[in-house]
Amino acid sequence: MFRWGLTRDLMWSEFGRIQRNLDELARRMSGPMRFPLEPAWRTSPIFPALNVAKEGSSYTVSAEIPGMNLEDLEIRVEGDTLNLKGMRKPEPLGEGVSYHRKERASGLFQRSLTLPSRIDADEVKATYADGVLTIVLPMEKAALPKQISVTTG
Amino acid sequence: MADKELQVAEKQEVSPERGEFTREGIYFTPAVDICETEKEIMIFADMPGVKPDGTEIELKEGILTIEGKVQALPSAGEQLLAEYRKGNYFRSFRVADSVDPEKIAASMSNGVLKLTLPKAQRALPRKIEISAV
Repeated sequence: MFRWGLTRDLMWSEFGRIQRNLDELARRMSGPMRFPLEPAWRTSPIFPALNVAKEGSSYTVSAEIPGMNLEDLEIRVEGDTLNLKGMRKPEPLGEGVSYHRKERASGLFQRSLTLPSRIDADEVKATYADGVLTIVLPMEKAALPKQISVTTG
Repeated sequence: MADKELQVAEKQEVSPERGEFTREGIYFTPAVDICETEKEIMIFADMPGVKPDGTEIELKEGILTIEGKVQALPSAGEQLLAEYRKGNYFRSFRVADSVDPEKIAASMSNGVLKLTLPKAQRALPRKIEISAV
């Protein structure tokens, strides 16, 4: 009997834990400021926010970084990792300028992203147009799927 | 201040209370800097993805409206990570009477719109002579 009681308590405490976690999940997903379909990771504070797509045998990474000087941006690829590093400088304004409003952030940023497979670093191409950085990273040849033809003996 | 680490600022969608859109697509509020010198007021707005010809600026009844259209390209391939949404931009400002509406200038580079609003030449204070009768 004692044993049964112990098991039952454990079981109920497990239910309690699941319930608490579900409540926490529901609270996070239905916050007042959040769009209901937006996932929780949207508030990731690492700049820049990235969109990554896989198309054919290459990955496309894009980021919105308006008003960058290209010399302040550093892109490195090593194995399967993309490193972005840079600095967004404030507008060079002279003396005697007073700000009424300052919403545009400036400062340093650094972000690493590990892709699902190794990258052919020599073939990586990056473009910066209208404040959007787009990096096309082709997969390494060895990572591509190979078709093996069968010969009859 | 320049060494501050950047954080992702969540893109704020234009709320319907401030004028609902009957047009297609999502509209975001661009982040802006507004600064003033003795001669002019400058507005900088971050509108990444907007080409110079996709920008519309209008001044009507003292309200300056900026709108940036992003070319809707269907994202090709399989989406692995989506941390930001693409959309158009919209924001309006009430312009002070001291601005000369004829001389507002706009330029766009690397997704940043710069508006220059020169102040009107204020009428110089007149000196009124009193003539002795």
